[in-house]
Amino acid sequence: MAQTIAHSGSELHGASIHGHHELSFFNKYIWSEDHKTIAIQYLFSTLFFMVVGGLLAMGVRYQLAFPGIPVPLIGGLLPKWLVTDSGAFSPGGYNALFTMHATVMIFLVVMPLLVGVFGNFLIPLEIGAPDMAFPFFNALSFWLFFTSGIVLLASFFAPNGMPASGWTSYAPLSSHGAFNGTQAGQSLWCVGIFINGLSSIAGATNYITTVINMRAPGMKMFRLPLPVWALLVTAFLLLLAVPVLSAAAAMLFFDLNFGTSFFSGDNYGQPLLWQHLFWFFGHPEVYILILPSMGVVSEIIAVFSRKPIFGYKAMVFALMAIGGLGFIVWGHHMFVSGMNLLLSATFSFSTMVIAVPSAIKTFNWMGTVWGGSIRFKTPMCFALAFVSMFVIGGLSGIYMASTPVDLFIHHTYFIVAHIHYVLFGGSLFGVFAGIYFWYPKMFGRMMNEFWGKVHFVLAFMFFNLTFFPMHNLGLNGMMRRIADPTLYDHLRSQQPLQIFITLSAFGLGLSTIPFFINFFYSMFKGPKAPKNPWNSTTLEWTLPSPPGHGNFEVTPTVYHGPYEYSVPGMEQDFLPQNQPAPDTVQLTVH
Amino acid sequence: MTNRNNFVDYFESHRFRGMNSRLSGRIRVLLPFLLLWLLGGTSWAAQRTSNLWWLPDVASKGGETIDQLLYFICFLTGGVFVLTQVVYIFFLIKYRSRRGVRATYSHGNNRLELIWTAIPTAIFIGLWGYSNHVWWDVIHATPPSDALEVGVTAYQFAFSMQYPGADGKLGRSDVKLISNDNLFGNDRSDPETKDNFTSAVLELPVNRPVHIRLNSKDVIHAFYIPEFRIYQDAVPGRTIDWVWFTPTKIGSYQLACSQLCGSGHYNMKAQVEVVSQQDFDKWYQEKVKPAPPPAQSEQKTAK
Repeated sequence: MAQTIAHSGSELHGASIHGHHELSFFNKYIWSEDHKTIAIQYLFSTLFFMVVGGLLAMGVRYQLAFPGIPVPLIGGLLPKWLVTDSGAFSPGGYNALFTMHATVMIFLVVMPLLVGVFGNFLIPLEIGAPDMAFPFFNALSFWLFFTSGIVLLASFFAPNGMPASGWTSYAPLSSHGAFNGTQAGQSLWCVGIFINGLSSIAGATNYITTVINMRAPGMKMFRLPLPVWALLVTAFLLLLAVPVLSAAAAMLFFDLNFGTSFFSGDNYGQPLLWQHLFWFFGHPEVYILILPSMGVVSEIIAVFSRKPIFGYKAMVFALMAIGGLGFIVWGHHMFVSGMNLLLSATFSFSTMVIAVPSAIKTFNWMGTVWGGSIRFKTPMCFALAFVSMFVIGGLSGIYMASTPVDLFIHHTYFIVAHIHYVLFGGSLFGVFAGIYFWYPKMFGRMMNEFWGKVHFVLAFMFFNLTFFPMHNLGLNGMMRRIADPTLYDHLRSQQPLQIFITLSAFGLGLSTIPFFINFFYSMFKGPKAPKNPWNSTTLEWTLPSPPGHGNFEVTPTVYHGPYEYSVPGMEQDFLPQNQPAPDTVQLTVH
Repeated sequence: MTNRNNFVDYFESHRFRGMNSRLSGRIRVLLPFLLLWLLGGTSWAAQRTSNLWWLPDVASKGGETIDQLLYFICFLTGGVFVLTQVVYIFFLIKYRSRRGVRATYSHGNNRLELIWTAIPTAIFIGLWGYSNHVWWDVIHATPPSDALEVGVTAYQFAFSMQYPGADGKLGRSDVKLISNDNLFGNDRSDPETKDNFTSAVLELPVNRPVHIRLNSKDVIHAFYIPEFRIYQDAVPGRTIDWVWFTPTKIGSYQLACSQLCGSGHYNMKAQVEVVSQQDFDKWYQEKVKPAPPPAQSEQKTAK
């Protein structure tokens, strides 16, 4: 498959772009500057990290249901910082498990899946460009990301093991080896996050430049497909938010290793400074993790409803509103931090306001399926589930936006349920939808529909069985990051629920097996994909699957918006962006 | 392109039609609500019998107000969820792909956009008003002057409490003075600090406001008592003096650290005993009576 990518188009554009015909093995697969190959490199590495992050999650769940019971089979093989002599997870080891689960899933899985995979693959193809604006930068961005992953995972072998102060790394716990006991691991965390930040900045610069400068003739901004809009807004968020985190990670590294005291609790430092810097990045990050998924889902819902997206401009403005407001809501992570109580009131207000554009998007998705002719293919199932899960995640966010209620449920499992509804039921379901949808274009073969449905049903079911009861745990006051809930009077009675959740989580872990088998099997044995298997209108579907190096043989001209489905008066129910509407047909402009 | 899949087939199958004919139309409409009621009823019953699902019984005055707000949001979001999902699922079934039926060609509707922007905006701002009102009344309100003052210092991995002694005053303190020998940062030049005594248990009289002076010695910890609906981070380098509440039920509770503070975090907790005023006075007298010289008492604190 990768061979086809490298060959089929190289005569056409490869020569003009790279100045040579034949690429060496190294340049084709390792240091490739083709955005499609880079997207696939991102995809393979993130799927690997997803397995790592998933196994860490299984460890977390095992400990909560069966605290103090030796880990079956592998308990004796695990390093001393992770398990006690009997082979059960130690409390410190448990802290490392959830710290790395979140770090891996956020920085090495969801973010690169959305921004790295879909950003790289879709932007040039959907705007009609031959490649990214800075192909070298693009390859650099991937390898920086990959390095950051290796650095973060290398902490497994560090003395005293992986960092254990949470993915939020609140100082001064994180900034003093004496407090956290994992100086080496925590230092590696800082370095890994710093490198990851460089990768994001390189990527974001590229995306913005490409979208602004390299659109095909006729591709006006308001004719961009919604995934491109979402990725553009995301790129701006990355560019403005990630440097703050990188700087903070560098300061934390200095505190840890060189005796500075930016964040220390003695009379020289300010622990809340870390939280402000972290959440100034952290909240836009939440939207970085969901906006591209919203874009992907919008496109898929339109395609499989055979309808134009409802309220295209409202969708775009909502994306911008979320992006803009995303920068003034970070304080809602800090209502109980010791921040001024007046400030909490203002952050509560901006947080309530940011719920409005999310509501608008939800109503527009419902408007899109209204009056449609809906086909329940696997990508559509995931996209439709995304909407419902996002509604749950959004509504549970309102509890936290309300300051007095937040006081009670902050740092409980309610928040764990909330973020997983947004990040798994939202972002990851969107990612799965996108993978099933663009797989034919990426690899030139179709994925198996039946096993896709099996994956969907299992994932949907176990996801809800795992995460919904966590709301109840939280309402009963189950604290986050507690290695052994049975030590607390008010938590002991809910242990049966903990065990239920853990069994469901194992089911959720196993539900990805059909996906992985389907993914790798179809790559070699799946039926060959036609140019346009979903009868879709955007530009990538006018190209062979997979498209050649350099993408377009002739630069396409764009005549209208991206979602012209079921246009009255036309035989076929879709009108690709590069085909002018027949004279007899009147397109409505909204 | 025919894309009739199993799901669609199922709904059109004889089995499903048979089900339809067996159930009268009205029952079919009511079915989701019936299910909802069953689920709601079960969880309500479960809450009554054990603490598996729901809020622990509230035991403070402010907590009751917070619970009212929580229930309000529960009903609001629950209503919105049910409403949107019923409409959504209805659309998904009604507008499934059918032979010969083409999708409606529509790019949207500006009036609808306006409506579903304005209504959520109004609801969210209203909810903010309500929340903020409670925030102001319960959390931000000045503690009453007759409140019992208690100093709480968190450190890896325990809590220590300090009571004001016979004079009823904690006296001056300063975070800069916090050390192993002086967990509460007491300014020893202030005579009011001399008779302060410490306790590992947070002993509180029922129905009397309690004002907490919260400190941390090393990293960020948290002061969390779920039954009181109270949570506050304890931050090293600053004293937090706005936490106050009124326990309303005699009983034992647990004060838990709910902010990750290191390898011993999982077991960082302290006992909270809410007792009658008489029992409290008795306990207090016993603690005050021995009145060991201040220096000795401080050493005891530091262990």
